Amino acid sequence: MFAPYSRIHRGVISMQFKRLAIVAAALAAISAPVVASGDQVQVLLQAYQRPTAIPAPADNPITEAKAELGKALFFDPRLSGSGAISCASCHNPGLGWEDGLALGVGHQGTKLGRHTPTILNTAWAEPLFWDGRATTLEEQAKGPIASSAEMNMPHEDVVKVVQGIPGYRTAFAKAFPGEPIDLDTIAKAIATYERTVVSGQAPFDRWAGGDQAAISESAKRGFVLFNTKAQCSTCHMGWRFTDDGFHDIGLAGDDMGRAKVMPGLPILERAFKTPTLRNIAERGPYMHDGSLASLEAVVDHYDNGFVRRPSLSASIKPLNLSKDERADLVAFMRTLSSQDPPVVLPNLPASGDTSQ
Amino acid sequence: MKPALPPRLPLGLACAAALSMTTALATGAWAAGMVNVDQKGLAFSAPALTVKKGVVLNFSNSDTTSHNILITGAGVSLNSGLQQPGVSFKAPMVKPGTYQVMCGIHPKMKMTVTVN
Repeated sequence: MFAPYSRIHRGVISMQFKRLAIVAAALAAISAPVVASGDQVQVLLQAYQRPTAIPAPADNPITEAKAELGKALFFDPRLSGSGAISCASCHNPGLGWEDGLALGVGHQGTKLGRHTPTILNTAWAEPLFWDGRATTLEEQAKGPIASSAEMNMPHEDVVKVVQGIPGYRTAFAKAFPGEPIDLDTIAKAIATYERTVVSGQAPFDRWAGGDQAAISESAKRGFVLFNTKAQCSTCHMGWRFTDDGFHDIGLAGDDMGRAKVMPGLPILERAFKTPTLRNIAERGPYMHDGSLASLEAVVDHYDNGFVRRPSLSASIKPLNLSKDERADLVAFMRTLSSQDPPVVLPNLPASGDTSQ
Repeated sequence: MKPALPPRLPLGLACAAALSMTTALATGAWAAGMVNVDQKGLAFSAPALTVKKGVVLNFSNSDTTSHNILITGAGVSLNSGLQQPGVSFKAPMVKPGTYQVMCGIHPKMKMTVTVN
């Protein structure tokens, strides 16, 4: 089911991979510096057109009432055991819906094992989490609330807390007529709000739309490199710049990632989900372990800084990028940031008698 | 809902299933014909397919990225291992039933195969 969303500009979802592959192969054969004609760039750009609507599951269509309720729940610290942590504590809209930390911090300062992922554009991003253990956004929304290391609020308790707040009872009646306030409706509301968090038009989109002055010449060269010599688009594909797949990109560490969720597949050892690159400049530090402080460090990693091992993605190979090419790639990635209006915090309903 | 996958089965079991299927293949599966399924744009060429018992599914990879086909159903599981671009993977479907097919690397890639 698709719901129209005004913040998404008109476009056509068109993954013309065959044409893209042909052009990419032709460009890859060109000796440095990598250049492309205007027509070739236009073919490449066709793979990055934005969608026209937000997808939602048939049993949880997007409505204004649900999104408004979900926003309040998302920003409400009373959904945590300490009463001090909300979803937004880690997914801070001022920090690209992340927290700016290498590793997340949860209940009573517990240091978490992985970097906080953004919730930008998660309507398209299932499965969720770095290891993909949640199939849907609704399932994902339940996880951190009950996690003892994160929000530390048992599910039965969070239902009681929400049921005890009069303003939420009114909001749930409006958002879910005839349905109870329970864990499923709480999760549906939060998931609905998260689906509405969509990155807006970035300079890259304006360039893709024909505004030649929207990005620098360095960034334009970076886009061609991204799709050819640097091979970034093998995984960072489409308008969100992700294949929603799982790859071992050669970072050090013992976190087995996706292999813990899907044991038995050696290629999933130390594999993590390809993150979106939308608004990436505001979302450092980078990688599932937050180990790389800058986009420059990320490019260096892919150039030749990865750990060789059997599970390493077949797409990860030495790139032999020049200093200028590295700078061009970073310049391109910086064009993916949208200048969205500030998020207005919700007025949360006053606490009531929890015995009701 | 978690995807139904072979990973929770020992890899050896998956290999044994593949071997069993291969043995059956030699006893007549080819006679039932071959059906092509392409992987392109991170999607299978058909979301659902119904084939006769004995048909061999030929999974091609027209993408520029690798895939890993996982087939589960009717008590068997099959794991293609890493499938590089341009490489085909053949799966003889010798046992009637409903099978779930997905890519282990790209879990959004799913299809259903019914074998009559």
